[in-house]
This record gives sequence, structure tokens and C-alpha cells, in this order.
Amino acid sequence: MNRQARRAYDLLYLLTFRELKLRYQDTIFGYLWSLIRPLLQGAVLYVVLSKFIRIDVEDYGLVLLAALFPWTWFQTSLTLCVGSFTSNGALIKKVYFPRFVLPFSTVLNNGVQFALSIPVLIILLAISGYTPNWTWLVGIPYLIAVEAVLIMGIVLFIASLDVYFRDLEHLTDVFVGLIWFYLTPVIYPLSIVPDKYHDWILALNPMASLVEGWRDLFLQNQVPGLSMLPALAFAGGFAVLGSLSFRQMQGGFADAL
Amino acid sequence: MRSDIGGDVALALDGVSKHYSLSLQKEASDLKSMLLHLPRFLSNARRPFVALDNVSLRVRRGESLGIVGPNGSGKSTTLRIMAGITPPTSGKLTANGRVVGLLELGSGFHPQITGRENALLNAVLLGLTLAEAREVLPDIVEFSELGQFIDQPMRMYSSGMFFRLGFSVAVHVQPEILLIDEVLAVGDAQFQEKCMNHIHGLRSRGVTLVLVTHDMLSVPKFCDRAVLLEQGRITDEGTPQQVVHGYLARVEALLALRVEEQQQLKVAQAVAP
Repeated sequence: MNRQARRAYDLLYLLTFRELKLRYQDTIFGYLWSLIRPLLQGAVLYVVLSKFIRIDVEDYGLVLLAALFPWTWFQTSLTLCVGSFTSNGALIKKVYFPRFVLPFSTVLNNGVQFALSIPVLIILLAISGYTPNWTWLVGIPYLIAVEAVLIMGIVLFIASLDVYFRDLEHLTDVFVGLIWFYLTPVIYPLSIVPDKYHDWILALNPMASLVEGWRDLFLQNQVPGLSMLPALAFAGGFAVLGSLSFRQMQGGFADAL
Repeated sequence: MRSDIGGDVALALDGVSKHYSLSLQKEASDLKSMLLHLPRFLSNARRPFVALDNVSLRVRRGESLGIVGPNGSGKSTTLRIMAGITPPTSGKLTANGRVVGLLELGSGFHPQITGRENALLNAVLLGLTLAEAREVLPDIVEFSELGQFIDQPMRMYSSGMFFRLGFSVAVHVQPEILLIDEVLAVGDAQFQEKCMNHIHGLRSRGVTLVLVTHDMLSVPKFCDRAVLLEQGRITDEGTPQQVVHGYLARVEALLALRVEEQQQLKVAQAVAP
């Protein structure tokens, strides 16, 4: 590893853990807060959808959580990272350092939170009779890697663009939280969506095949193969788009901020 | 970037210009004003501002260069280009060696974490690897003289303590080329003395230094050579004494002119009915 790459890696590590530390500092429940939020959200959605609306899905609670946890990583990262460069203007104007570490450390920090929630999911699965399977050993790192690449590509793109186009912060918030969330099979499995919408959702929404992949892994013990193609394609596409746009735009950051 | 500039040159600017466009985007940053100013917005009218105009400069290895000039003459822009923070609009920057820019002390310090943790992160931010930063951390802590405060969150720090830690980190990141923008006068007289000695120490070890300052006394003290920047151009160059004297003489002449103008104005007012 050359010196620049080494330093970028070190910065990423230091910033990720600084954020983790700051998040839990002076709180009584600390790390538990990372679990309480998605679990509470899961519980509310479970009661409303399963008991009130009476969605007819076997083990709905687990179907929900297996998708909700990875989705939360995605959504939090996008909403937090879109302003990564914009909100660190003072630093960017005064010090030269690899700037991509700013959004990436937030992605990783939220990735750690997600990783820490996996054991909770595994316990809940085990209680319901889904015993841990060796395919999980392959599937978990694989899906984490795909999701990480997808998120990093997207945030690098939107965070760079946000420096010149601040509306993007509001746009991201609205689009991801209000539209993308409902168009992704999180609170419902893809199987109950009428066939005519299936292909559209899968083809246009990388998160659809990804969360379905997480479900397949935990509930069917399948390491997703071809079905993950859209997520893989989008991840690759955004990785290219993100790094190209960042390279193109980052020179102007110090002047534009 | 090792290239054609020759081994004894640490830093070279070749015909460097920097233009900022003070665009109308600012005025038209929301929908209402965008619609109100639609013709101008569409024509993308911009007021160009030339911060640096075709500046060529060579800093030799181990040399210490002072840059003086009035506010807004492009000194800080020059330093930012040298540090790689912003690219020149045209022209070329070449650096032979590791550049550390000290444009502000304590950039990125976070008030909620301890001085020690901040120092480590700051050192990596300024150019060290984590392993190197861990190695020099004891020196940084000792130099800062913060005692037990080093393990307190930085929100407890006085501004003097804040800058002392910032300076301590900055001088321990082992630059080959050190760029300093007005950050020498920190802490009390005793700590300032220590900083000055440290800078002299770096110089005697062959570190190349570029110093931007308004403190005309420190230029002859620290620099082998000085340039005067005015309105984005180099208007004088030579020994520090020479350049500083020339600059001060011009400032004085300018002041005298103003006083004279004002007196004439008063006389004119008194005469007028």
C-alpha cells in the first residue's frame, strides 16, 4: 500500500470510530440505541401490518426485520452523507486530505451499527426455529460487500453534487424516506406484489433485489445468485459514476464551499 | 510529482493564475430570485475576480520564503494552491517533497473528544500515517505542555490551550515543505519563544518554509528571501529587509497621501460657504 492509500485507510478508521464514540458518549443506553430504533420501528410496523391490516405472510415479523435492518443502513447513510462535504467546508478549505473519507466514514460507521444488529436478528430467527446455517457465513459478508459498494457509489455521487446543488439534501431526504422506502419490498415481501410489477421493481430498484437477497439468505438459507444481478449492476454503475463525478468535482470543493 | 524543475527546487509555480467567479448564483440561489433574475441567470453572467495573475515563483530546497502584501493581494490563495487545497485556474504547480499546509491551527478538532485523540487524528489529517502519528504523539503531548488537560475533552480548553495543541501537532508532522499562514503567534510569550525556536530548528534541519504574514518583524527573522504580492501579482522580490522596507515605505507614502487628501478636503470645506 502506498503512503496516500495508507493514510486514507487510517483516516477512515479514525473517523469511523470517532463517530461511533461520539454517538454513544454520555448516553446511558449507548449501543442499545442502535438496536432500539430499528427494533421499535419493526415492532410498530409488525403490529400495524400484521395485526391491523392483516398482511398474509408467514413469519411476517422476521420477513420484515431481515429487510428492515439492511434498509436502515442504506437510508441512514444516504441521508447523513449527502451533506458530508457541504457540512465540512471549514476543514476542506484549510487542509488537504483525501476528502472521500468524509462520507465513507459515515457509511462504515452505519455499517458497523448494522453489523451489530445482525446477532439480534439471528437470535430472533433462532427463537422461531430458523437455526443458523453455514451458508450465512458466505452470504453475510457477500451481501454486506455488495451493499457497501452500492451505498458508497451513491453517496460519493450525491455528496459531490450537493456542494453545487444544495437542494439535493432535501431531495434525498424526501426521495429515500418517502418514495424509495415504499417502492422497495421492505414492509412487504416481493412475492405478494402482482407479477406485472415484479420485473419493473427488480430492474429499476437495486435495493429490491438486495433486501430480497437478505431474506433469501436468512429465511431460505440461500446465497443469492442470479437474482442479485440488478443490485450488482447498480453497485458497479454507481461505483463508476460516484468516483468519476467525485474526481471531476472535488477540485472545486474548496472554492465552492 | 518529481519533474523537470531540478533537484534543488522544492516548490515551483509556473504562470499560475487563479480566477474566482463571483457568480450570480448566490443571488439566484432559490427559485424566487432565480425567476426574478431569469435573463441574467440564463446568460450565466459572472463577475470574474482575479486572485492571482500569472505568478511564477521558485522556492529552493531548504530555503525560507516570506510572502508579504496587503489584505486580498492573493497571499492565502497562493498558499492554498501550494498546499493542493485548490487547483490553479491556469499554470502549473510542482512540488518536490511532502507539503504540509498550516493554514489554520487545530483544523478538525472536535470539542467532545480528548486532546490526545484529537492530536492523533489531526496528525494523520495533516500528513502522517497512523503508525507515525502514534510514534510522535508523546512528543506532541510534551511540547503542548497541557499536562493532565491532554486527556480532557477539548471543550474544556481555553483558546490558548487549543492553539498550543494545534501548533504542537503541526510542527511534529515532519514536513519537507512547510507552509505557514499567520499562525506563529500563539500562546503566551514563553510558548511563542518555544515555537520560534522550533521553527528555527526545522529550518536548520533543511525543511523548506513558506511563510505568509503581516508581522513585518518576523519576515527578516525567519526568511532568506521575500516577495511582495499586490493585487495578485509579484511586485517586488529580494532580501527580506529590502522587500519589507520597500513595502512599508509604500504603505507610508499611501497613508501620507490620504492624510494630505483629507486635509485638502477640510480646507476646501472650510473655504466653501
